[in-house]
Amino acid sequence: MQEQMKTLEYDVLVVGAGIAGGESALNLANIGYKVLMVEKEPSIGGKMILLSKVFPTLDCAACITTPKVSEIARHPNITVFTDTETEKINKKGEHQFEAVILRKPRYVDVDACTGCQLCEEACPVSVTDEFQFGLVGRKAAYIPFSIASPRAAVIDIENCILCGACERACPPDCIDFTQTEEKFLVKIKSVVVATGFDLFDPLKIPRYGYGKFKNVITSMQMERELAPTRPFNTVLRPGDGKMPDNLAYVLCTGSRDKSVGNPICSQICCMYSIKQAQLLLGALPMADVTIYYLHIRAFGKGFNEFYAQAQDMGVTFIKGKVGTITEKENGNLILRYEDIEAGVVKEAEHDMVVLSVGVLPHQGISEKFENQKLKLDPFHFIDQSDILASPAKTSIEGVFVAGTASGPMDIPDSILSGGSASAQTTSYLRKEEL
Amino acid sequence: MKKKIGVYICHCGGNISDYVDVERVRKSVEGDEGVFLAKTTMFACADSNQKQMVEDIKDQGLDGVVVASCSPKLHLLTFRAVTERGGLNKYNYVHANIREQVSWAHSDDKEGATEKAIKIVKAAVAKVRHAESLDPIEVKSTKAVAVIGAGVAGMRAAIELAEAGSDVYLIEREFFVGGRVSQWDDLTLTEESGKELVTRLYDSVMGQKNVTLFTGAEVVENSGSVGNFELKVKVTPRHFKLQCNGNELQKAIDVCPVEVPDEFNFNITTRKAIFHNFPSEYPQLPAIDIKNCTRCGECEKVCSAVDFSQKTEYLNLKVGSILLATGFDPYEPPKGEFGYGEIDNVVTFPQFKRIIHYCDDKLIYRGKEIKNIAYIYCVGSRQVDGPNKYCSRYCCTSNIHAAITVKKKYKGIHNFHFNRGIRTYGKAEVWYDESSRLGDIYLQSFEHDPPVFEKQGDKTIVKIKDVLTSDRELEVAADLVVLVTGMVPRKDNSIGNLLKIPRGRDNFFNEIHMKLRPVETVIDGVTIAGASQGPKNISESMNSALSAATKSFSLINSGELQLEPTVAKVNEETCEWCGKCDEACPYSAFEKIKVNEKFIAKVNAAVCKGCGMCLPVCPTNALQLIGLSDEDVESMIDALIPNY
Repeated sequence: MQEQMKTLEYDVLVVGAGIAGGESALNLANIGYKVLMVEKEPSIGGKMILLSKVFPTLDCAACITTPKVSEIARHPNITVFTDTETEKINKKGEHQFEAVILRKPRYVDVDACTGCQLCEEACPVSVTDEFQFGLVGRKAAYIPFSIASPRAAVIDIENCILCGACERACPPDCIDFTQTEEKFLVKIKSVVVATGFDLFDPLKIPRYGYGKFKNVITSMQMERELAPTRPFNTVLRPGDGKMPDNLAYVLCTGSRDKSVGNPICSQICCMYSIKQAQLLLGALPMADVTIYYLHIRAFGKGFNEFYAQAQDMGVTFIKGKVGTITEKENGNLILRYEDIEAGVVKEAEHDMVVLSVGVLPHQGISEKFENQKLKLDPFHFIDQSDILASPAKTSIEGVFVAGTASGPMDIPDSILSGGSASAQTTSYLRKEEL
Repeated sequence: MKKKIGVYICHCGGNISDYVDVERVRKSVEGDEGVFLAKTTMFACADSNQKQMVEDIKDQGLDGVVVASCSPKLHLLTFRAVTERGGLNKYNYVHANIREQVSWAHSDDKEGATEKAIKIVKAAVAKVRHAESLDPIEVKSTKAVAVIGAGVAGMRAAIELAEAGSDVYLIEREFFVGGRVSQWDDLTLTEESGKELVTRLYDSVMGQKNVTLFTGAEVVENSGSVGNFELKVKVTPRHFKLQCNGNELQKAIDVCPVEVPDEFNFNITTRKAIFHNFPSEYPQLPAIDIKNCTRCGECEKVCSAVDFSQKTEYLNLKVGSILLATGFDPYEPPKGEFGYGEIDNVVTFPQFKRIIHYCDDKLIYRGKEIKNIAYIYCVGSRQVDGPNKYCSRYCCTSNIHAAITVKKKYKGIHNFHFNRGIRTYGKAEVWYDESSRLGDIYLQSFEHDPPVFEKQGDKTIVKIKDVLTSDRELEVAADLVVLVTGMVPRKDNSIGNLLKIPRGRDNFFNEIHMKLRPVETVIDGVTIAGASQGPKNISESMNSALSAATKSFSLINSGELQLEPTVAKVNEETCEWCGKCDEACPYSAFEKIKVNEKFIAKVNAAVCKGCGMCLPVCPTNALQLIGLSDEDVESMIDALIPNY
């Protein structure tokens, strides 16, 4: 296998093409370094590109992400590999790293694809759409989402029945089932790890009924319902398609909860829930929104003011932990919760419940470092070895961390962390040049 | 006149099209003079559409482009770049804002919004018809950066800039570096103390050949603009010679008759007019506080290093970019707020940190041993009536960390946290958990119902209606009350005023855009870092300092800068120099020059922002804005009000 690998050379390998990795890559590329970005998904832009609007400014997420994504995609100093996994990274010496990356076949010639979506129409296979977080379905031949970059079709080979309908429908004839996996040996001088985070899976808290009660959804699903590229073009409850008029948010779902193994605060859930509540009051003017919380963590620039604004708009905040959720016959939900202020356990009925799921480390990257250990912190995020003076430094000299790979953070902090990682990478690379 | 204009009307994924009938807008301009194609698009800024636009420009031979979408603040540069990639000069692009100015402003009136959008797009088309190709103004840039403030953020930025290859002038107003962190012993996040961190950074700064550090130094004048700022720096003497004998110094301090509150210890102690903040002072050389010095001359008699002949110096520095890391002030409660300044066992959190620093085995304040401590949170932050509506971010975590330290360091301490909802975000949650396990008591109220005080003997009774125990009235007899004070912007904003840096609602320095350009300001070439921009912990300050260093560096790295050519232009024949333009200009871009025995105005193109403030005040109509001529404006008005 070793002999068949193509060898590529760059200055920096950026693992993960979300907003933090993107910021690092753009800064490095603008200084003149050659950057290879690898992204396991078929589109760059990470989680941010899938969001509705962002707090506390209520800018639409797409409006901020797409220009960055577009700049990354066309920057002469940046090469992007999507559908690509990092298999291993070895440090050979200072300013000498070797990585093996595996590019999975997309079965589509990305350059030739015009994004016309005729393959989608032709494909007979329907599966759950992961980019809409399971709210709707997609085909096995599909464009990940409308503002994806590259905006090109992908064949989901796991679910494809190899009927050939897409191939026949494709006008530029860009579907190619003969594509195979490609492995590359990448020689670089430095690595930026920007692998992001995972969302807590609420199936791990069965008492909230997620997966069983259709009108209990996650905050990321609500994010999609509110996004410009929303699947239903309005907010609906999945159980029966009714427009909800009494929604509840359950904060700290999977955060600050040792029983599910995550003792820390996710830093973003309070704010995104408050944001969604404000958007819901706009989208559904007659609806009531109640947020069940323990402490509201509105700590960033303009955040506390945003929280106060939500209170003024009429969002109800109840200090209390939700114990269980049960379903009524009509699909409405009964929340049993501790009303801390009243000191009693109460029940309340809502017609839709949003679980504000927390931030978990995206694991796996540390094991890819073979000959040196990429240390993790007690919560399995990447350990910042000099968090006070050089926050992007890791246990391996020359490997830097950007964004939520090192812990929960919001978008502004992720972008600053991406900028910080690029600065420290620059210093490291300059040392070799001197 | 353009003959092949392409017009693109953006849905903004519903942000526009939910309120504006974009198809009607498209049809209304389709047949307009010069319009060759008119399209709608879901997201004009998306990569796929950008590619399509480039293809259209190339394949259809477009000579002008209009995109009707969001604010030009977001995407003017995006579409100019698209136009350029299509092979056109980017000034053949005109931006129409139909989101902030139309769909968001008139979401209650779809018909009216659509009509307004049509007019705005027609006006943009009218403007693009006259558009001319322009070349950017090229200026050489000085490969040096001035970093203002040598706290931890400023020092870190200076190190980064030097390592990247820039010359750095690190300018500190105080006689010692380290800022607020040098006053802070225990830090959260690691075992390293504030003093150790400051030492580490100072050593690194001193190890950089291309960093020049000035202490006791202040920027007093600023001229020029991005690429070539000229700063005048006032350097106040310390009145001490470099070689200083420790014994003599102590004698000099002892004989000094002046005693003033020591700001380094937040006024809980006093110091002499000869002072140092030893041991956490760098440079390790004392200074004389000349404002309070009586010139009695006693110190000079016992210490040979004292030198009253040192004079204030002025230096002129030329830099390409300025990085502001001027930090914050701790909130100083007015007399009477929670008994501050009235009840003698009420201190602020920074004072409390200094008290811990000076107490070894027993926690003693004003001669009395402290056992019961009441912490009052959100003092000066999240104010109901005051101006500080924001959360100061660091205080919950930092205070809980200090409470744990106190409990572990001294025997018999009881901590009572009177809070408004603890905000130990992220991994700091573990300290909240630890403090609870150690037996700390948390009592909470909401903003409208703060705890109240009552003095009883040498104790202060703190009473609260505690929401955590269903509004029970609880009280604590405290030996010491710590007001957990937040961060406020620096009282002295002279540098902000000098550089004309805008401030946000919270009065901290404001960035251009929190997510797109988080460390840049509207003043080109000036970046902001650390807590000058808003409350941050050390690690967050470092991230912003390093980001700002990267941005500042990218401005000066190539040695050349391209600036907008859309600036004011003076007609030398009709200008009679009356000075009105100079008065109106917010950027001081005008200069009075003499040409052919006549005084006229001259525009410094590198400073002019093309804002147009000077145009209407000119009595002889001698000023024009390049790229926005009278003809352009008139044609736009005609398009906006067709039947006028």
